Amino acid sequence: MNVARIITGPNLIGSLAFATLAIFFVIPLFFMVVVSFYQADPMAFYRVDFVWENYAKFFSNFYYKVSLRSLWSSALSAAIVVALAFPLVLFVSDLSRRAQMFWIILLLALMCLSEVIIGFAWLILMSQSAGVPAFLEWIGLWDNPRSLSPSFGAMMIGLVFLGFSIVSLILYPSVARRDRSVEEAAVTLGTPPALVFFKVLLPTFRTSLISVTLTTFVYLLGVFVMPTMLGRPSDWTMTVIISDKALGDANLPLGAALTVVMLIVTAIILALSALITRERRA
Amino acid sequence: MIGLRTIYLWLIAALLIAPFVVVFGVSVGASKTIAFPPDALSAEWYTELLTEPEWLLAIGRSLLIAILAALISVILALAVNYVLWRTKSGFAKMTFALGLGPFLLPPIILALGASLFWAEVGWYGRIEATIISHGVFFVTIPLVIIARGFAALTDDVVEAAQTMGATPVQIFRTVVFPLIAPYVLTGFALVAIISVNEYLISNMISGFVVETLPIKIFNNVRYGYSPVVAAASMLFVGLTVTVLLILSRVTDLVALFGSSKDS
Repeated sequence: MNVARIITGPNLIGSLAFATLAIFFVIPLFFMVVVSFYQADPMAFYRVDFVWENYAKFFSNFYYKVSLRSLWSSALSAAIVVALAFPLVLFVSDLSRRAQMFWIILLLALMCLSEVIIGFAWLILMSQSAGVPAFLEWIGLWDNPRSLSPSFGAMMIGLVFLGFSIVSLILYPSVARRDRSVEEAAVTLGTPPALVFFKVLLPTFRTSLISVTLTTFVYLLGVFVMPTMLGRPSDWTMTVIISDKALGDANLPLGAALTVVMLIVTAIILALSALITRERRA
Repeated sequence: MIGLRTIYLWLIAALLIAPFVVVFGVSVGASKTIAFPPDALSAEWYTELLTEPEWLLAIGRSLLIAILAALISVILALAVNYVLWRTKSGFAKMTFALGLGPFLLPPIILALGASLFWAEVGWYGRIEATIISHGVFFVTIPLVIIARGFAALTDDVVEAAQTMGATPVQIFRTVVFPLIAPYVLTGFALVAIISVNEYLISNMISGFVVETLPIKIFNNVRYGYSPVVAAASMLFVGLTVTVLLILSRVTDLVALFGSSKDS
């Protein structure tokens, strides 16, 4: 065999793949950090400079409050998503193969489906003339129905819906492959199912549940469509403000600075998540 | 207790499907405003969707981006996994880890970075920019799926081929690739579906010029509503579910997501 070819072949392919990722994934992020120090210029995109002005703006009252609001809404929705998805995945993993297939296709379809369409679907479902308010009027529970969106609740439903399929699919492999002997033993000994859930299953999956909650939290932090479609302007998250600054006001340096702050927050959360998982393994 | 479980499963399934039943109802309704259940049935919104040039253009653009982006994604993922499998080097592991990055970051960060990058390169408004960014950002999915394929590959088949004097290229073409092909196909299909549905990144890179179907739907919902949007959404749902159903025939999705039922 041609020894030189064996050595250069994979290395060449590997370097090309690495370069592609570096150029189109790492460099844009790096360039964003650079732009965050530029000066805004209403006539062009930006003016090359080195100023802290954009970051100083972040600490003004408004952006600070928006950030805290974003953290709160994504943390709350991430917690709700995991609390709803974990029991579902547990139950589904005990179903027949055909039923499992149905659930996997349903969840995959929802995971792939556009935020725009999910948001639009809920918009209709919560509108006055169709969906839930009209239904409640029809069965006589609500005399004078009005649209349920935009509201904080509507935005939360949208976020939970969006995260639900992803979390279920992330949890599914480990839940399906779990060692069932302990729960079976507990059930044989007459432990009530609720107690099995809290004493056996919850502790077993504690670390993966915490890490999936953190991942979902980060993901929901960056969602744009749900807040704009279903939330009121007072519910708008940092993502909406960033896109508003960058596209609407064409103030790219400010948009970049706000995104860099979000990147730092994300990095801290991901590091935390990695730390928790590692501690468990050690 | 079994009763409670079943109720929970049905309730969640109903909540997950309900929005689409309503969208479907609106899309086949004759009324120009949102009404559910529809008063009279009509196919006019579907006709408009499939005959109006601006909708057709958006559909074509979205499909083109999806297929090319999926191709880039899968080639990249295959390359990284192949090198990792062949060399097990630290460099290959690092490349693999780098490929997991886009999935871990909130989409807005990727979107703004790509938007600044393409504007600086001078490719703002070019469809190639959207294709490349989609291809690179969605690499995580085929990367993880194809890795499962390589993990299932046993050494003895490869060693047998080596003993028979096959070159690395021959081994890849005749032994490795056929065995991992289902995983590659799954990765390709998932990236294509996700790309077709993606809004934020395409919009930030060149949303004003390269108007994809999700961008068009979003703009329509925000600035003047028409039931064509409902028809377009149903087209998406149909397309997504069809591809997944075909996929479930070709590969074992349950096994891919790791059921222990038969092991």
